[in-house]
Amino acid sequence: MKKAAEDHTKDKRFELLIDLLLADDRQDISLLKEELLEAKNFKSKVDPFVDAKIEDLRQNFPVYFGDTITETIKVQIKESQDEVVEALYPIMGKLVKKFIASEIAKLFESINNTINEKFSVKSIIKRFFKGKKTNAQDVLQEVFEPVVEELFVIGKESGLLIGSYSRGNIADKDMVSGMLTAIKAFAEDAFSKEGQDLEDIKFETFQLSMMNFKSIYLATATSGVLNAEFKDRLTDSLNNLADTILRNRDYLADESKLNKLLEEVLKDLEQK
Amino acid sequence: MIAKKVLLVGNFGVGKTSLIRRFVLNEFSEDYISTIGVRVSSKILKVDSTEIKLLIWDVAGTSDDEKVPKAYFMGSSAAMYVFDLSRQETYTNLEERLALVKQLSGLKEITLVGNKKDLLTEDELAVVLQSISTHIDLVTSAKEDDNVEDAFLALAKQSLN
Repeated sequence: MKKAAEDHTKDKRFELLIDLLLADDRQDISLLKEELLEAKNFKSKVDPFVDAKIEDLRQNFPVYFGDTITETIKVQIKESQDEVVEALYPIMGKLVKKFIASEIAKLFESINNTINEKFSVKSIIKRFFKGKKTNAQDVLQEVFEPVVEELFVIGKESGLLIGSYSRGNIADKDMVSGMLTAIKAFAEDAFSKEGQDLEDIKFETFQLSMMNFKSIYLATATSGVLNAEFKDRLTDSLNNLADTILRNRDYLADESKLNKLLEEVLKDLEQK
Repeated sequence: MIAKKVLLVGNFGVGKTSLIRRFVLNEFSEDYISTIGVRVSSKILKVDSTEIKLLIWDVAGTSDDEKVPKAYFMGSSAAMYVFDLSRQETYTNLEERLALVKQLSGLKEITLVGNKKDLLTEDELAVVLQSISTHIDLVTSAKEDDNVEDAFLALAKQSLN
C-alpha cells in the first residue's frame, strides 16, 4: 500500500517535471495551432475573391495588359534589333529565295515562249520587211509589255473626274482623281518653281504620269517596262487626245462620249 | 450626275473630319483624327430632284501660320467653314478667316458652322452665339449626329447656285 502511494507521488513529480520542461514548447505549439487555424479561416474567406480576380484577369487580360505588353514588345524589339534580325533573317531569306525562284521560272517560260514565237519563219520574214527593232528589243518588249491600266481626264483646278478608261477595279474614281489632284498641287506648291508641274509618280510596278493642259490634265497609270518608243507613242496619243477634247468641248460635258473616245485612243495605241 | 468640289475648312481639331465621317460613313469615331493637308471624300445626295456627287475636300487649317497650297481652294463650288463652339480661339477673327477663304476660293458665300454643340450647356451655347457677330448658318454635333445632314445639304445647295 505504501509502495503504491510512493509510485503515485513519483508519477506526479514526473508529470510536473514534464510540464515544467515543455511549458514553453506547448505554448509555442498552441500559438502555431491558432495561427494555422486563423490562416485556414482567412484562406477560406479570401479564396473566392482571389479566384474571381484570377478569372477576371484571365478573361480580360488583353484589356488590362494589352497596351503594356505591346509597348514592352516594341521596346524589346527596338532595343534588340540585331537579335530580331538574326531570328527573322533565315525565314525571310527562304521566302525571298522562294519568291525569286518562282518569278525567274515565270520569266524563263515567258522568254522561251517569246523566242519561239519571234524566231518563227513568219516573224523573221515580218521583221525583215519592217526592219525596225533589234531582236533583243523585240523580245524584251514582249516580256515586259507596257500596258496603260488607267486613263483619267481630270479638271485641272477642281480635280473633278471628267472621263476615264480603266482596266482595273478602282472603287471610287472621283475620289482618286481628287486625291491625285491634291497630291499634285501639294508637290507643285512644296517643291516646284512657279509654272512647273508634277509629271511622274512611280510605285511598285506602276508609273503614274500626268500631262498638263490649260484646263485639264490627263493621268495615266501604266504597268510593265516603259521604253522610249512606247513613251513617245503614248505622249503622241495623249497629245492628240487632248487636242480632240479641247477643240470639241462637247466631250467635257458628255462623260460616256468621252469614255468611248478614251477607249478608242488606247485601242489604237495598242495596235501600233 | 453633277459632280461638285466643295471645301471644308477650319482650324485643327474643330471636327471637320468627324463631320465628314458622320455624313459619309454615318459613324463617329472617338479617335482624334489629325488631318494632314487635305483629304478627299465623296458622297452622293439629292437636292430637290437633282442628284449630286459632292467631292468634299477636307482642308486643314487656314490661319496665317499654316501654309496651305492655294490650289486646294481652286475650282470649288461651295465651302463650309467649321469652328469649335467650345474653343474660343477657333472663332476669333471669323470675318478675317472667312474673307481669306473667299479670296483663295473665289467664292462669294461660305456656309458657317459651329460644331461640338454637345460639349456646351444651353446657357453656355447662348453666350457663345451671342459673342459671335458673324451670321452662323448651323450649329452641329458630329458626335450626336445633330444637324450634320442639314449642314451638308446647305453646302450642296450652295454648290448649285
